Amino acid sequence: MSPESAPILNVSNVVKRFGGFHALDGLSFHCAPGEILGLVGPNGSGKTTAINVISGLYAPDGGEVTFDGASLGGVASHRLVHRGINRTFQIPKPFLSLTVRQNIAVALAYGRAAVAPPEMAALLDEYRLADVADRPAADLNNAQQKMLDLVRALATRPRLLLLDELAAGLNPAELDWIAERIKALAQGGMAIIVVEHLMGFIEHITDRVIVMNAGKEIFEGKLAVAVQVPQVIEVFLGGEHAA
Amino acid sequence: MPSAFKHTLFIVAPLLAVFAVLPGVYENHLLLFNFVIFLILAQGVNIIYGFTGYLPFGYVGFFGAGAYGFAILVMHYQAPAVIAVLAAGLVGVALGLLLTPLLRLSGAYFAIANLAASLAVLHFVANPALENITRGPYGVSLTGTFNPTLAYSAALAVLALTLGAVVFLKNSGFGLALQAVREDAVSASMAGVNVVRMRVIAWLASALVAGLAGGVYAWYVSVFYPDNVFSGDFSIFAIVFALFGGVATISGPIVGVIILYGIYNLIGFTTPQYFQLIYGLLIMGLVLFLPAGLVSLATRRGWHVP
Amino acid sequence: MLIYALVAGVLFGLYFSLVGIGLNLVFGVMRIVNLAHGDFLMLGAFVAFGVVTLAGIDPLFAVPLAFVLFVLVGMLLYWVLVPRLQGSVNPEMLSIILFFGLSQVIEAVTTIFFGTSERSIQSRALGTVFQTIKIKLFGGTPDSGGPIQIFGQGFPASWVIASITSLIAIAFVYVYLYRTRLGTLTRAVMSRRDEAFATGIDVDRVSAAAFGIGLGLAAVAGVFAPFMFGSVTPAFGADATVTSFAIVVLGSLGNPLGTALGGVVYGVCYMLVQTYLSSWADLLPYVLLIFILLLRPSGLLGRRVRVA
Repeated sequence: MSPESAPILNVSNVVKRFGGFHALDGLSFHCAPGEILGLVGPNGSGKTTAINVISGLYAPDGGEVTFDGASLGGVASHRLVHRGINRTFQIPKPFLSLTVRQNIAVALAYGRAAVAPPEMAALLDEYRLADVADRPAADLNNAQQKMLDLVRALATRPRLLLLDELAAGLNPAELDWIAERIKALAQGGMAIIVVEHLMGFIEHITDRVIVMNAGKEIFEGKLAVAVQVPQVIEVFLGGEHAA
Repeated sequence: MPSAFKHTLFIVAPLLAVFAVLPGVYENHLLLFNFVIFLILAQGVNIIYGFTGYLPFGYVGFFGAGAYGFAILVMHYQAPAVIAVLAAGLVGVALGLLLTPLLRLSGAYFAIANLAASLAVLHFVANPALENITRGPYGVSLTGTFNPTLAYSAALAVLALTLGAVVFLKNSGFGLALQAVREDAVSASMAGVNVVRMRVIAWLASALVAGLAGGVYAWYVSVFYPDNVFSGDFSIFAIVFALFGGVATISGPIVGVIILYGIYNLIGFTTPQYFQLIYGLLIMGLVLFLPAGLVSLATRRGWHVP
Repeated sequence: MLIYALVAGVLFGLYFSLVGIGLNLVFGVMRIVNLAHGDFLMLGAFVAFGVVTLAGIDPLFAVPLAFVLFVLVGMLLYWVLVPRLQGSVNPEMLSIILFFGLSQVIEAVTTIFFGTSERSIQSRALGTVFQTIKIKLFGGTPDSGGPIQIFGQGFPASWVIASITSLIAIAFVYVYLYRTRLGTLTRAVMSRRDEAFATGIDVDRVSAAAFGIGLGLAAVAGVFAPFMFGSVTPAFGADATVTSFAIVVLGSLGNPLGTALGGVVYGVCYMLVQTYLSSWADLLPYVLLIFILLLRPSGLLGRRVRVA
């Protein structure tokens, strides 16, 4: 891992408002190739909003996001995918009536991966979907739908991958397994941002975390350090610091 | 054998062959022609509703616009019928382009806005103030181009084109991506699919098909009124036929047209209100008991339906 | 001429609010597009015909009769149709087709029993009950039942009676939604149907009531249809449905009280176009509907997102 290399993603002073509510209030951070960055914070602190802004679902009301040196302002989501940004969803929304294989085929065909797209068979094997490859996505259980969502993202060969609560709902064995997969992806040079409530999981896989509260960064550094900062502890009082 | 070829060989070719031969052995040519028209319209609905999820409740707008496009070219420019049919297709596409903003609406809002749009086009065309151009409510008479045999062949050509488009959608990555957009537009965009462009292409394709169908219809009947070619029955029948068979398949809408339009003609027109009653009950039964169409009887058993 | 058009527009507009409000209540609560809405208006008109021809009394008596009758019909229909529909993959879309089928059935049955001829009621018949009461209490003789004067212009008494009834009906909907327990639950279901389920609200009971009231209000509007539109045939329903949609969307789909505003705006526009551009008046509902959907998709009062 090489967190020292130049960042591929720069988020600077981003503001996102919903009505009068400031979901993001001057958020700044960066992420480098090969780095796994954790975004943590209580519910409503703006983690998912940050992911939605970076992946182009929301246009920011202020500030700027640059990826690979180019601004992302006003670029449509599918173009961001072509540039090398992809994400998973907290609640995966696969194409329910299509088979698993067809779900992946769409992303392989339309993702315009900069390098050669991955092999369908390899993806199905690596993410334990081979047995259900020809079943409609509607038949999958929640964990399998999450894996399918991840594979849909990986099929486009992203250089920046945003994982929104991928681990929630997985059992301990699955957690260890997916942690290794995520680390392997980072070692291949992918920049990865992880939003997660499971602190053990975050501690295990991330190089660095940003602790957010009320749309702002309140801490940046190692999670082990973060949990000793009074301000961070205060924010997490109320049971968020579970698991 | 690639499946697109199989579908063409075993579904499209036999269907076209049957309808090419039938006029020689069956006398009611108008009925055969209407079957072909409804096959085209049901497949046109299939393209937009089956593959993208937009319910075109005013689909007849394109059909009527196509019929009037044909009529205007023949009346005012003495165009040959084949050119006028092509122009009818373009009129359909032009109306489709004009209505692309409707694609911003979802669910029932789209369906209602599309219905309103078709009625707006009807009242526009039928307006006495436009008598010099469209003949307003007084209808058009195109005896100069009257040639049912050729018009029937043209209808078959349009049907072939439409079926070709559906076979392509059923067997291509493009069709798969359209279905992905239908299932979830956000996830589709995150698979790299340009959601807006896909929807517009499907919308214009179904508009083209209905415009061409309207053109050949005008050619075949040669005398018609705005209320004939903008009749809401065209939209409803096309939707119900497609839905009854099962959308997002090639065979579903075909089966739907053959069974339901067959029943329609067996019941006959002598007592329209009894017919309307039976038809209404049939539609209600369809939605309540077979919402995914006849093909779902097969797919539920795990059989693949092309 | 302008004043006439404006006042007539408001009178018609209030009536149009009544025409649309039931449709909106049904959509707001159930996310169901009742394409048979206009047919229940038509049936309400036939209740009025029945009251006049069979009993020979003021058609105003048809108002409570039609309301109660169609509240019951609505609740019955709800239980037969809606739970099954809600269980399907795409109830909002399929509802359009289901209720189209229902509208065909209603139109067919009405035609079978009553034929296709245009029916109308002498507008003098409406409101005779007031004359009778006046004569009973104060004596005197029946007057001619002529036009009612507003701002120096004469308007048919039937228009005024229809608009006053509409105001009462809108007030009724307001009281129901904001002053009764069932109404509060109804609003809860409207804003968050899934959460309402989760909190243990009997969504089916609330919805059945809303469906019944929606059809009841449509039937009440139908009682006045022969006076407002001149005559009614069984085929009247389809046009009435599209007009209702224009009104409802204008005010904002899913907000029944917005319909009151939508109706008045529609009525005034309608009368202005009738007065100054009469040959294009038929286009109005459709063009207005499309423009409102595109420019202000949530309606004049709405805030719901409906963009795909």
